[in-house]
Amino acid sequence: MGKIMSLEEAVKTHIRDGVSIAMGGFTGFNRNPVAFAWEIVRQGYKDLHYIVGHPSCATFLMHAGGNLGIHENSWCGFGEVFAKVDLAGARLLREGKMIFEDWSHGQQAFRMLAGAVGAPFIAYYAPLGSDILNPEYDAMKKAGLRDGSNPRIPKEKFIIMDDPFYGGGKVIVVPAAKPEVGVIHAQKVGDMGTVRIQGLTSEDKEIAFACDRLVVTCEEIVSEEELRRDPENNLVPFIKVDTIVEVPYGAYPSGVPYYYDYDSELIKTWDKLQRDEEAIRKWMEEWVYGPKDWNDFLGKVGVDKLIALRASRSTGYSGHMQRGKNPSPQVFTPFSWRRKAEEV
Amino acid sequence: MKNIENVIAKINQIPDEVARVGDFHLNELMALAASREVNNDDVVFAGTGLPMLGILTAQCLNAPDAVLIYESGILDGRSMHIPGSVADQRASFMSSQLGGLMDTFGYYLQRGLVTLGFLSGASIDKYGGVNVTYLGGDYYNPKHRFTGSGGNSDIGTMAKRTVFIMLQEKRRFIERNQYTTTPGWWCYDWPSGDWKPKKEVWKGTPFAECGPVGVVSNMGVFRFDDNGEMYLETCHPGVTPEQVKENCSFDLNISRVTGETPKPTYRQLYVLREIVDPERLFLPVSLPEYPAGIKEIVEA
Repeated sequence: MGKIMSLEEAVKTHIRDGVSIAMGGFTGFNRNPVAFAWEIVRQGYKDLHYIVGHPSCATFLMHAGGNLGIHENSWCGFGEVFAKVDLAGARLLREGKMIFEDWSHGQQAFRMLAGAVGAPFIAYYAPLGSDILNPEYDAMKKAGLRDGSNPRIPKEKFIIMDDPFYGGGKVIVVPAAKPEVGVIHAQKVGDMGTVRIQGLTSEDKEIAFACDRLVVTCEEIVSEEELRRDPENNLVPFIKVDTIVEVPYGAYPSGVPYYYDYDSELIKTWDKLQRDEEAIRKWMEEWVYGPKDWNDFLGKVGVDKLIALRASRSTGYSGHMQRGKNPSPQVFTPFSWRRKAEEV
Repeated sequence: MKNIENVIAKINQIPDEVARVGDFHLNELMALAASREVNNDDVVFAGTGLPMLGILTAQCLNAPDAVLIYESGILDGRSMHIPGSVADQRASFMSSQLGGLMDTFGYYLQRGLVTLGFLSGASIDKYGGVNVTYLGGDYYNPKHRFTGSGGNSDIGTMAKRTVFIMLQEKRRFIERNQYTTTPGWWCYDWPSGDWKPKKEVWKGTPFAECGPVGVVSNMGVFRFDDNGEMYLETCHPGVTPEQVKENCSFDLNISRVTGETPKPTYRQLYVLREIVDPERLFLPVSLPEYPAGIKEIVEA
């Protein structure tokens, strides 16, 4: 049982100022390790080197908390319908308090795959012709960080070369991502560490293997036997898991399929608050620094909200949550399934 | 409780006649113009918002077999409720395969399986290159910092065809983007930074012929000529080619206009409003009412 820790203990064990960290999930909608980020903000670590694609709710908190020093990202927002631009992050960037390196989703995913399979670099075509490859916009080089002194930072952002094997034109070679710590949020983890994720997997498997130390936060710790009855549904084997943290609702306000839905109301509130630095500071004071622990935070969120977000065991999402201007209709079959053009 | 037979019967009762101006919202016209870009055999990679409305409507009407990919890892989901984003659990309902970004960007996109990309952007240049990174100021001190590429630059360069849905404004239809996130038919050849045709920069790769084929704005529909330059194909009802040209800061070619963008039919509007987005997640809450005669069938 040596891998199981409390949230507070796990953050204290794995995070220090300047550590490089990758986080899983996808935007504000899917399995973002928010509780872990929340605890990082509370413990106040600085200058983290954050290597991610799109974990927006966690990013939002760490931008507001001022915890990041380098941010390598391919999509920086915190929810798609409700708002696109994370103003706290934009402010840090403008004030020169955070170095921001732009990538494309494909590039970041391929970099993480290279890290995961132990390859030093990988070839990918896109986006040849884009300003992402403009040497003037290599922010980490401009900041003098590509001098080889930090083993987590490659000496070049990319190299464009001709395909030497098949003569297939130009290709971009990008370096592997090598985060020291990876954090993903799963529905279930076995007591030895076997990871079961339901729903889309984003970059979580790549992150799990690319990092040196993996923390898996989860909705529930279950027995290994249960997960070994259908091992084809497990994403990460126990040998790659260092720390397990059971933290119910640990991805809130992002969603966890079959457990709870995303809380569009809170994400909209963040969007409103972020326009005023004082308002967001107050929110952080009350909701991040104030609560005794994560359970205390959930208590503040309240049972009504948590019940409204509870996901259907059948579809994996909530049918009771009002997301748009009208309530969700009661539907049990998708209309476009097995349609023939002549039927309409 | 709705079953498919009832829904189909209802749709078939709605006349498929062209709606009068005033009976539809501009966003509906745009979503339906986008849906016409989808062929039945397309494998479509779509982003959130109007692009999603376009493909979901196409799957209910003109292209039921079209396969939809969401970049988060979802292939051919058949949603009952419109997803709030590409990573919403609603998007994965009944999908053929559920994976992650390696699946979508690697196995599907770079492997060459994606035939149509559906995207939007903050600004577009006359060769169809798009900026979703920043506007105003400079890169290190931007006035408006947007999200950055996401899958835009991957999909826009490696899907066989790409259609962009854009807001028509002088500062958004421009000669050259301040930052080219997603290259169009002309782009930079790094490391020199020379401005060259995409076909030259990407020569020899499997994606040299891939690129933008259409733009749907709130004023018209655009195509690209042999040189990769954007021209106006149709104007939305009530809009003149000159007005579109005034809302472009490059010299827009309006010599090839074929007429008016087709207006939606009442049946299409019904599908978009009541099947695709009844929750009004992306459609505006106040839409024009159905005219008498149609309204009775809808409410029956």
